[in-house]
Amino acid sequence: MLGLAKGLGYTFKKLTEKKITHFYPDVPFPMPPRFRGIQHFSPEKCIVCNQCARICPTECIQLTGKPHPDPDKKGKLIDTYDINFELCILCDLCTEVCPTEAIVMTNNFELAAYSRDELYKNLKWLDDNNTNVREEN
Amino acid sequence: MNQNILTTQVETSPDTGIRTEEMLLNVGPQHPSTHGVFRLVVKIDGETIREAIPVMGYLHRGTEKLAENLNYTQIIPYTDRMDYVSAMTNNYVLCHAVETMMGLEIPERAQFLRLIAMELNRVASHLVWWGTYLLDIGAMGPFLYAFRDREMILDLFNELCGARMTFNYMRVGGVKWDAPPGWIEKAKDFVQYMKKELPSYHQLVTGNEIFISRIKGIGKFDSKTALDYSLSGVMLRSTGIKWDIRKDEPYCIYDRFEFDVPTATEGDCMARYHLRMAEIEQSLRILEQALDQFPAEGEIIGKVPRVIRPPAGETYVRIESPRGEIGCYIASQGKDKPWRLKFRRPSFTNLQILPKLLEGENLANMIAILGSIDIVLGEVDC
Amino acid sequence: MSTLLQQAPSLGNTIWFILAAVVLLAVLLGFVTYAIYFERKVIGWMQLRIGPNRVGPLGLLQTVADVTKLLLKEDTRPLHADKALFTLAPILAYAPAFAVLAVMPFTESIQFADLGIGLLYYIALSGITVLGVITAGWASNNKYSLIGGLRSAAQMISYEVPLVMSVVGIVLMTGSMNLREIVEAQRDVWNIVPQFIGFVVFIVAAQAELNRTPFDLPEAESELVAGYHVEYSGFRFAMFMLAEYVYMFGMGTLITILFLGGWLPIHPALSFIPGIIWFVLKFSLYVFFQFWLRATMPRMRVDQLMSFAWKVLLPVALFNILLTAVVISYQNGMF
Repeated sequence: MLGLAKGLGYTFKKLTEKKITHFYPDVPFPMPPRFRGIQHFSPEKCIVCNQCARICPTECIQLTGKPHPDPDKKGKLIDTYDINFELCILCDLCTEVCPTEAIVMTNNFELAAYSRDELYKNLKWLDDNNTNVREEN
Repeated sequence: MNQNILTTQVETSPDTGIRTEEMLLNVGPQHPSTHGVFRLVVKIDGETIREAIPVMGYLHRGTEKLAENLNYTQIIPYTDRMDYVSAMTNNYVLCHAVETMMGLEIPERAQFLRLIAMELNRVASHLVWWGTYLLDIGAMGPFLYAFRDREMILDLFNELCGARMTFNYMRVGGVKWDAPPGWIEKAKDFVQYMKKELPSYHQLVTGNEIFISRIKGIGKFDSKTALDYSLSGVMLRSTGIKWDIRKDEPYCIYDRFEFDVPTATEGDCMARYHLRMAEIEQSLRILEQALDQFPAEGEIIGKVPRVIRPPAGETYVRIESPRGEIGCYIASQGKDKPWRLKFRRPSFTNLQILPKLLEGENLANMIAILGSIDIVLGEVDC
Repeated sequence: MSTLLQQAPSLGNTIWFILAAVVLLAVLLGFVTYAIYFERKVIGWMQLRIGPNRVGPLGLLQTVADVTKLLLKEDTRPLHADKALFTLAPILAYAPAFAVLAVMPFTESIQFADLGIGLLYYIALSGITVLGVITAGWASNNKYSLIGGLRSAAQMISYEVPLVMSVVGIVLMTGSMNLREIVEAQRDVWNIVPQFIGFVVFIVAAQAELNRTPFDLPEAESELVAGYHVEYSGFRFAMFMLAEYVYMFGMGTLITILFLGGWLPIHPALSFIPGIIWFVLKFSLYVFFQFWLRATMPRMRVDQLMSFAWKVLLPVALFNILLTAVVISYQNGMF
């Protein structure tokens, strides 16, 4: 009987203790600086080296480049850049290999959508996703 | 699945003339207490289990096969998803295997970070077990208390590597991130907090007479059976065999710290419960020492070639995960991808004893026994 | 109310009867609504959560929303279920739960029927509910609900025995089975003091009768998914839920009357506070205790449960009867 009473005492004490519930959808959930959220992609930095697409363990990055419009300049410009968030596991490897930090993580993590099609994020969307960008990558 | 189980016996009692029939009960894959998508076909006679056959594979994703087409860095995020309750040990076992093959030197600071991460993860994993086990037994409070404390560990991990469960933290040769400023102090605070909190867990549950009567003396097996089924971890230690890879084949830097390996001799669910609780204490002890001795500075990743190509050959390494011995076997042909990768998953191996333990048990004990094995379905099905 | 019962039946008093029953039903539904709300709140607070807070101010309309949802749901029935019994079971479980309230004296004046054998009436009718549960378990044609139904039949029948035995002491002391007289006999001291053993046995057995933690085996979530009502949904499920909470109401009322002095104040000096307030206070205390237990206790195992009823509770209850009988005989100067 003592054990039962002890347990009852414990739960009773908790009755008045401070609650730990987060008011998440009403109050944004703060994430630490290193949090791996949805990627931000800046096309002007990209050198189309294709490393992110190659390191991706789930092959969710599709990209194409186009030749530089100024014929004197070497290298390519990014043309399309898509991340399929049905597959992406936010493992951070693409940002790790990117030599120019063209692709970086942000602290945004809300990806819920009504349709699967909305989970294909293109270059424009990823470029606009420029809030809470992670500092160290 | 063994088809024999599908035939049930109909008996007519010679004394009373009452006709009785065995019944097939399909527990899972959607059932509140199978900890995921685990299915158990049990043949019951009244409430007594005559035979039980586990059916697994509902969460099979072919990690091992997928790994054959991935280079070693790419496999690390996949290991996060095997034992998702304690992903750090999975990260480690893969990195450890590759490092062993390549003979890499790991910097001191990285070793410490790995050890701290793994031990924190062990505490988190045992807390999840504690909460869900009590939930299986029917008490729903402990689950939330355990998750409150686990949340603190997850927050620590979130600060350390940017994810709460799928860490992808370790790399071949070291770790990805250094501890952020103030992190070590936060971890120290957590260890102190947890040390104070642990007795209240015992106050709430351990002395509870209903709980004791539920789990004492059930799911019993002896050390010979445990060895025959090649059980490991708490399942093995609960039968009196003192075998902890952290102690017996020290890896990482476990040999530098003082800790005990708690064992029991009863081999029942109660013993396993006490062992896991004692292991939390020991983990906190290791953490306390490791956090105190944490080197002020140093490299977090050693000298690693740009492309990781272990020499041709095979290797098998094993470490102690919260569930038991997790091993990683790599057969390499000197390429940047493994020729064959195999994980020895403790949940899968420990689960094999379940049919034997369930035979002749009461249906109500089924959940208590299954829970005490501490399986993670991501790991069982891999 | 009681005077109505003694009049010749006429259209006038029939309407009164129906009206009174509807009022009681409304009170009851209000109680159930907020009992569920407070259960969730109290358990939430104990588990460091805040409980329902989205629907209505402070989440007060949460249960209303839940019940509305249940009532609007499609009425589903398993293909191979026994149609008639499947429909009958929720009614069979609910009707007696409501009927037992007829004899409960809430205060000196608020009572529907002043039966001489009020206590017996309660016990006899509450025994019917088990039929509803076992019918539900059998008619669903589901293995989980069958096990749940059989478990609850075994459990509720076994625990009825110590439940009845534990109140025999009170009947001996009072010399009556009339609930009103039992309350009046507690003017000097509440029965919880002289009948403490009986009280403990009654509380434990009542818990098992109500199928609540730690004796919630018939619907053991982690083993039997939802036990006997696993196949029920929509308003039939709502009926089972309602029956469960109305039973809690009934049991709380009974405990208040039998052991906690009904509407009597703690001290005669406090008698200026109306009896109904005292009654509600004591009653709420019991209901809170229920929630508190649920937040703390694990579940018992079915075989332990049965041996506990027959090997522990019943002997203790019998001992209590013997003790009471000896003490009363001594007081009456028989020794």
